[in-house]
Amino acid sequence: MRKVKGFLLIGIIISILFSSLMAITAAELTAEEIINKRDDNEYFDSVRIEAEMIIVSGGRKITKTMVALSDKKNSLVEFTNPQDRETKFLKREDDLWMFFPDAEEIIKISGHMLNQGMMGSDFSYQDIMESDKLTDLYNFEIIGEEEIEGRLCYVLEGIAKEGVKVSYYRRVGWIDRERFIGLKEELYTQSGKLLKETKVNEVQEIEGRWIPIDSVMENKLRKDTYTGFKIVQIDFNPEIPEGTFSLQSLR
Amino acid sequence: MKKYFKITILFMIFFLLGSIPILAKVDIGGELAASLINFIDNEGNISTYLQESLDLELFLPTLNNTQAKFEIYLFNNPMSGGFDYLIKKLYLKHKFEKLHLTLGRQPISWSFGSMLNPVDFTLGAMAMDEETGAKYQDAIEAYIPLNWNSSVSLVAAFPEASQDIKWGLRGRTMIEGYDLTLNYVRESEIDFIGTIIPASQRIGFTAKGDLGPLGVYGALGYYFKDNDKGDLAYLIGGDYSYFFEAGNKIYFQLEYLSMKKDNLSSILGPFFAGNVTNNLNENIGLILGMANYGIDEFSQVNLMAISSLNDGSIIVIPGYRNQLNNNLSFNLSTAIYFGKEDTLFSSNVSEGAQQKPKGMISIGLTYSF
Repeated sequence: MRKVKGFLLIGIIISILFSSLMAITAAELTAEEIINKRDDNEYFDSVRIEAEMIIVSGGRKITKTMVALSDKKNSLVEFTNPQDRETKFLKREDDLWMFFPDAEEIIKISGHMLNQGMMGSDFSYQDIMESDKLTDLYNFEIIGEEEIEGRLCYVLEGIAKEGVKVSYYRRVGWIDRERFIGLKEELYTQSGKLLKETKVNEVQEIEGRWIPIDSVMENKLRKDTYTGFKIVQIDFNPEIPEGTFSLQSLR
Repeated sequence: MKKYFKITILFMIFFLLGSIPILAKVDIGGELAASLINFIDNEGNISTYLQESLDLELFLPTLNNTQAKFEIYLFNNPMSGGFDYLIKKLYLKHKFEKLHLTLGRQPISWSFGSMLNPVDFTLGAMAMDEETGAKYQDAIEAYIPLNWNSSVSLVAAFPEASQDIKWGLRGRTMIEGYDLTLNYVRESEIDFIGTIIPASQRIGFTAKGDLGPLGVYGALGYYFKDNDKGDLAYLIGGDYSYFFEAGNKIYFQLEYLSMKKDNLSSILGPFFAGNVTNNLNENIGLILGMANYGIDEFSQVNLMAISSLNDGSIIVIPGYRNQLNNNLSFNLSTAIYFGKEDTLFSSNVSEGAQQKPKGMISIGLTYSF
């Protein structure tokens, strides 16, 4: 009996020690590590996406459909809905080019347009076509933990690095502790004004990655307006022919 | 030669269509538009007509790097009372490894984002965001990509009113973030209702880039003349966006164009042609501005104006657009001409000169499918 009690006691002590070790280990994840784990999910060497962008304002709804191809530095988006069919955008680093299908001409878009809503949506060209890693653009720190829709999340704050050109000076992100996927994000100006908020409605595990397949971007400066972004199809690391991210491929 | 050119292209397209497997996706799309257009003269008399149009395009799949395009624009002609048509696109394009070859009726546009373009392949093809049919040409284009942002293209076009070939050569590259082009055009001799317009040549240079928060652009053109005293034309412009506290934005664009009056009517296109029958050697300075305000995600108002700095005459063009749903949009645009008699944009012209409207209002709906 004494032996049983003894073993039980040792077992309990080991369990407590093990749990503490796990807790300590989890707590020891740095902000950069958390963001890197998130990037592992959401950052691709190359990706092909078919998606819908649903623009809602005051009860009215308009849907745009698109196909997007991205690699580490470049993006190519082609719209496929009737009104914008064959309109294309090419982003190479900080340069944005647009193909006008009617005149079949390619025009370089001015830099200040990158922060404008793409095709009238709340997602800017920079939001949709950004391919840089967050850790290259922001310094992150953990500011807390919160629960979102039953999922325990790290809360991280990112401040733009000096000399780096970004659309949002400060971002606060809620990252799922288990899946390392962003479930909510707030985007701020340097003066502290909340510009936009993104919420993820649905995530899916695809080829071992957790992907936000249904998310909503809300413009906090306006009432009753938001844009939904739904991924219809996603292919990781597709073969992208050489010369895809070029002006001639827009023609 | 032009007649056989079109027939050959048509046969090649039918051949290509016949080669496409039945299950391949062939799609039809386009735009149906109806507008009520009202012209107002100096006495306040209004003449109205209904403009209806159908823009129909066939979307054919690409087959072995070969693409066929067909687009036709049908519209009612108020002069004849019946319907007329313009074939916008009827071409074959094949992408070889180092060359893209396009044969047939195609848009040739050398735009760089300005409101007026003094160095386009066809002058006046695009003026103040108004599209004309001038850019659609029967042509052969050879496009040679040099790297991702550089290319050379050679165009041989067959204008309607000429037996001659019109040539164009354009080089494009990017240096220090600026999109640069250099071009040369040799216009063919044209027989315009019995009047012979001699062949001419011009060269042009354009640049577009960013200067801090501003987008900037410019063009320089030289029009060769027989007497060796050519005409110089230049354009400088910029654009800027401003975001309000409430989340709305306003977009501005402003440009200045200087050129000889003689060449101006080509640049302005038929809608803004103005009174260009006298003092053709006079150098004209035009200032153009545009402001576009996004009311919400679906609607916007804009205001354009073009003014002659020589005589103060001005065209003011307010407009409003609202996207009602996925496919349907509402458009309202007006144009009002101001100026003393016989000034460039005045509706008051001397007796005997062609009368100009005081203003125009267009209200319409466009449905995309």
